[in-house]
Amino acid sequence: MNDDHKIVQQVYAAKEDMQAADQLIGTYLPFIKAETAKFLKRPPIEGHDDELSIAMIAFHEAIGGYTRTRGAFLKYAAMLIRSRLIDYSRREQRHSRVISLDAPSGKDDTTLGETLADEREPHEETAARDATRAEIEELTRQMQEFGVSLSDVTDNCPKQQRTLDACRKALQYARANPELLNDLLKTKRLPIGPLAAGSGVERKTLERHRKYMVALLLIYTNGYEIIRGHLKQVMKGVAVR
Amino acid sequence: MSYLVMECHPSYAVLLDEEGRFLKAANLRYEIGQTVYDPVLMKETPEKQRHTMRWISSGIAAIAACFLLFFGIGYYQNYLQPYSSIYLTINPEVQMDLNRQGTVVGLMGTNEDGKTLLEGYDGKGKDKVTVADELIDRAIEMGFLSEGGRVSFSIDSPDEALFQEYGTELRTKVTEHLDGRLTITIEIMNHQDGQGQENPENSSSPNSFQPTSSQPASTSPSSSESSQPGIVPPTSSNTTDYDDTDYGPNNDGVTNYTPPASSSPAYADTDYGPGNDGDTNYMPPASSVPPPADTDYGTGSDGVTDYTDGNTDYDPGNDTDDDSDDDGDSDDDDADDD
Repeated sequence: MNDDHKIVQQVYAAKEDMQAADQLIGTYLPFIKAETAKFLKRPPIEGHDDELSIAMIAFHEAIGGYTRTRGAFLKYAAMLIRSRLIDYSRREQRHSRVISLDAPSGKDDTTLGETLADEREPHEETAARDATRAEIEELTRQMQEFGVSLSDVTDNCPKQQRTLDACRKALQYARANPELLNDLLKTKRLPIGPLAAGSGVERKTLERHRKYMVALLLIYTNGYEIIRGHLKQVMKGVAVR
Repeated sequence: MSYLVMECHPSYAVLLDEEGRFLKAANLRYEIGQTVYDPVLMKETPEKQRHTMRWISSGIAAIAACFLLFFGIGYYQNYLQPYSSIYLTINPEVQMDLNRQGTVVGLMGTNEDGKTLLEGYDGKGKDKVTVADELIDRAIEMGFLSEGGRVSFSIDSPDEALFQEYGTELRTKVTEHLDGRLTITIEIMNHQDGQGQENPENSSSPNSFQPTSSQPASTSPSSSESSQPGIVPPTSSNTTDYDDTDYGPNNDGVTNYTPPASSSPAYADTDYGPGNDGDTNYMPPASSVPPPADTDYGTGSDGVTDYTDGNTDYDPGNDTDDDSDDDGDSDDDDADDD
């Protein structure tokens, strides 16, 4: 009983804090593994079975969706893990007729994947990935100056298309007025007032998605070309409108 | 749609999609900076069922609220809303608000003594008569009311019938209540026009108290009702035998007719037809008035005019000249001569 109470408290703490959530998932990893094993009918191998990752994200979802009215947390989490694993297996069924690249090719010891001609250049790709990683790490560091983490931004991200469009509109206005971006970098504060007044977006909307706006505006300051290149859709969406 | 892996955690990864959304997904051995195409995203929205449940429950709540409101209004009008008022005046003045049922819903002292009288007294939910009795008792206790005192009930009611009813009830019950203790004048007034109910002299005294006789007839609908002549519907005492008809297929040939016994002797001695016995049984009516022996046309007139001068024409020795050629004989004699 007391144990149960403790876990409920932990879950409620983890809702607010991503670190706590990670910790909680670390603590309950055996439980997650056990639930996955029940589904797979064999023990999952860490770093190999996608199902384990699915179970972990399901546990994460359980932390987010749990309320005291839903009964015991672990029962709820177990149910959610099972449901997500079933969803995943159904999704993967369309690949059931495809053979694995890891399957033996029949000759020598090589696998099927190794027999294919690799069109991609792995060295270039690795270099690009490293550049991207450097950019992302820089962005993360800069965001920390604002007291914002990427996990926060994820939680703060607009869910509705309309809100997303409003945020893009504000971004568009900020790009047209670079002094706003400079202000942001200098004062480490989001200039909500001028943004709302200039773009015509509700001040409340911007306030509600402050962290997201900080990330978005930072990406459009200087540097971050790769990320910006990835985000081509954002500007396209606004241009169409 | 391609996703850029922004952050990796043991349990999840943060992805950035092309539209600028930051999303959480299952970390399928991703690395930061990697571009992925088919991630397993975390479902953000809770189950839809919760929303339908919320709709259903809110609908039920709304209907329940409507019902409550409906019955609540009915209850309020019947039991809580002041419908009529009684102003009790001894010296302390107290206003009693009554609902439709005649139960006290509000008590208020309208002057200083009234407030003193009501201090520490809770009359809500009691009947008006009970409250009136108890208040009068309190007034006696507190010394507001003594022998020969006067209690006035001013009734403010929307219709006259209710005023009469309440007035009668209060008068009767309060006098009953005080019977044998004090002699108090009870006054019933209509608050709206200030008119008093009849019988202001009614007082309760130990010896001469007669509740029913002191009650004016007009104010007591029950007594006037009982004085009305009762109309008793005619009830047939003899049982009619509807099954034994002498008509139709049920005819049993027996008419069950018995002639009335009283009429038979009259038919036996008729003077007409076969029953004629030659004796008419006629008795000449005995003349109650004797024949007018010597009336001279008039009710008790005596005979001055008896014409008894002894000289009638019918007398043979009549010498009066009746005929021109009369020989002293009547005409009968002439006829004999022929």
